[in-house]
Amino acid sequence: MAEQLPLSGVRVADFTWVWAGPFCTVQLAHLGAEVIRIESESRLCITRRIPPSADGEAGPNRCGYFNQYNQGKHSICLNLKKPEGLEIAKKLVATSDIVAENFAAGVMDKMGLGYETLKAIKSDIIMIALSGYGATGPESPYVSYGPAQVPMSGLASLTGFPNFPPTNVGFSYGDPNGGLHGAFAVLAALMHRARTGEGQYIDLSQWETSVAVLGEGIMAQEMNGSPPQRIGNRDLYMAPHGLFRCQGDDRWISIVVADDIEWHKLCAAMGKPELANDTRFATLADRKQHEDALEAAVTAWTETRTDEAVTTTLQAAGVAAFPALTNKELAEDQHMRGRGFFAELPHPEVGVRQHAGVPWMFSDTPCAVRRPAPCLGQDTEDVLQRVLGYSADEIAVLKDTEVLS
Amino acid sequence: MSEHNSSTPNSQPPGPLQGIRVIECGHMVAAAYAGKLMADLGAEVIKVEEPGGDSARQRGPYPGNTHHPEKSGLFLYLNTNKRGITLNLETSKGQELLQRLVQDADALVHNYHPTQMSALGLEYETLARHNPRLVMTSISPFGQTGPRREYTAHDLTMWSAGGLVFLGGAGGRPDLPPLKAFGQQAGFQAGVNAGLTSLGALYGRLRSGKGQHIDISVQECLVAIMENNYIAWPYDHTTPSRLGFRLIPQDVLQCRDGYIYVLAVEEHQWQNAVELMGNPEWADTELFQDFVSRSVNWDALKPLLEDWLQDKSVQEVYHGAQKRRVPFAPVSTMGDLLKSEHLNARGFFAELAHPEGGSLRYPGAPYKFSASPWALRSPAPCLGQHNEEIYGGQLGLSPEELKSLKETNVI
Repeated sequence: MAEQLPLSGVRVADFTWVWAGPFCTVQLAHLGAEVIRIESESRLCITRRIPPSADGEAGPNRCGYFNQYNQGKHSICLNLKKPEGLEIAKKLVATSDIVAENFAAGVMDKMGLGYETLKAIKSDIIMIALSGYGATGPESPYVSYGPAQVPMSGLASLTGFPNFPPTNVGFSYGDPNGGLHGAFAVLAALMHRARTGEGQYIDLSQWETSVAVLGEGIMAQEMNGSPPQRIGNRDLYMAPHGLFRCQGDDRWISIVVADDIEWHKLCAAMGKPELANDTRFATLADRKQHEDALEAAVTAWTETRTDEAVTTTLQAAGVAAFPALTNKELAEDQHMRGRGFFAELPHPEVGVRQHAGVPWMFSDTPCAVRRPAPCLGQDTEDVLQRVLGYSADEIAVLKDTEVLS
Repeated sequence: MSEHNSSTPNSQPPGPLQGIRVIECGHMVAAAYAGKLMADLGAEVIKVEEPGGDSARQRGPYPGNTHHPEKSGLFLYLNTNKRGITLNLETSKGQELLQRLVQDADALVHNYHPTQMSALGLEYETLARHNPRLVMTSISPFGQTGPRREYTAHDLTMWSAGGLVFLGGAGGRPDLPPLKAFGQQAGFQAGVNAGLTSLGALYGRLRSGKGQHIDISVQECLVAIMENNYIAWPYDHTTPSRLGFRLIPQDVLQCRDGYIYVLAVEEHQWQNAVELMGNPEWADTELFQDFVSRSVNWDALKPLLEDWLQDKSVQEVYHGAQKRRVPFAPVSTMGDLLKSEHLNARGFFAELAHPEGGSLRYPGAPYKFSASPWALRSPAPCLGQHNEEIYGGQLGLSPEELKSLKETNVI
């Protein structure tokens, strides 16, 4: 009997590429869906083309970016510019529950794979489009790349040190955030279909999902006519609240003190009882007023210690503290390893690499990465035979006529 | 797709999660955002607050910057469409009432710390005895297992633990620390993960008939979104940071009236940007001939771009660039968003009145469903607003019992 995961038996025709879309469908793969990515040899996904690649050696199957976010999926190559290729895509949709895509608005329609067409093929299909701007509105045809969502959403204008310009967050946050919201929306649509038998079209704008996580910023503007000011790592309601230099090259510890009691705990843990009695730091208001001096006092203690030692000392005292971890430290982390977070399945071209795995543990239906990211077109024949019923001879003809490329 | 907003909820079909009953407990963002995602799509969410209220009520923004627990912008945003009750889970009577609520629920989502769960009656085994079909989702900083399960955390320390803070900050300034993203982003990310896993387990339950317990580690949720920055270590042993080199040049540059984000990924996009600038002579030099050289020589290129931008408006540059398929973007302020022609044409902002907080525009539908739309139907609950309706109506407690629960500080 097949393994029974939450989405066992659910098939996804995955036309997505780059990051937001693949991050949406990788969630569905984690939950047990059969996700089939439709790729093209002539228009490779950018994540198959950019670093990091395994040991610095380039190649479409060697890229960490692709191999991280396409774990658990299948890959077929189809030339959608050929009528036979388009036909195969439609046959796949006819046997699928979900269609996902993240092209700019209108591109799927132009390819002949718009929602109305697909709905005529499979009446209860759930289709999600994760575009930058959404399917409607005057700017919907505009070009959008994931990193632009950080400035467009306003996150950059709220992030930064005082007297510095708006600052991006160091990665393309709008992509995974849009992808996760998209996966949530698809699951809601599946629940709706289970109850009513009805499929639907979901128009997701990454710009809007990016604003959805900035509710307090919009509310500040609405309530008081001005946005929150850029205050670096500080917080209006807690102090100390920041990153403090530790021993070593570019080593930093984050420390958050939520209230006066925790401030006293921090002073005791630092072995500086005199700070607890310092009237400049007695209350939150006092600490906020003298925050430069407060941070200097904490730094004087942290900078002669390792981030690890500071974490151990402060956590034992009940104060929230944790190092600013690098990717190397994450990869070497024994806590996450012990929890089984990392996915290390053998891949034909890159061997065993330590990928980030599923960030949740289900007690009854354990979700896990079940296969490594696919090599380009690895499952073309299997999907055409097993899922769509093509014969070996038919497949040979399709190959000769460059439909499967 | 039909446009919609909150002003006509009665004319709309119900949301896709109609009939799903959810209990939400905890503080601040993660559990509340999971609850909001479900409530805004039609689930019936009961928010259980301690008698003192969710700590999000103690954080602003507040109208006029005057503290008021019913007027917190963070709380109002996160708790739309929910009914709210108070319940002291530290008492055995409180835990018994939670068990009765759970009997009628499909899902429970919470973000109480693993060290508190037992004392609050939030053990899955106990609750599953009262409802074996319950899907319970527990959000915690480092998960329910492992040596760090007891570590205490806040949003900033989680952004650090997830490897994201190390990526953010001021380039070229090793004297300044790494920088967090604004707001409560670790909480929001954990919230979406909790929402989607809750629904995943509910979908699986349609076949299995069984509930289950989901353990969500905030740290792992964040490591999962590091783009290609985490995987760089296992693949080629490099460590990206805020101080590192950017392969494709991108930056925030000043215009006459604000900031524009400049980015050109493909060569033809850069050529079109050069044309937009009126084909200046400097663009022909070898220094800027491809994206690698433009990135290496960004310190020389940036002032030339700023020179061109200084007397232009953000909107003029943005639309001018986009007409040439150049992916520049405005660095929006909150005010810009509320005025955006595009967002307003899509009906993104949804106006909602709250008895204490007044009438405000909220960020609206993050996705448009063609058959079962997102909708704002009711504002965030005042503290204990639905105690009588839920304890009296749903659980059938008498007015005397309710009175006694209030007197003994259970609710």
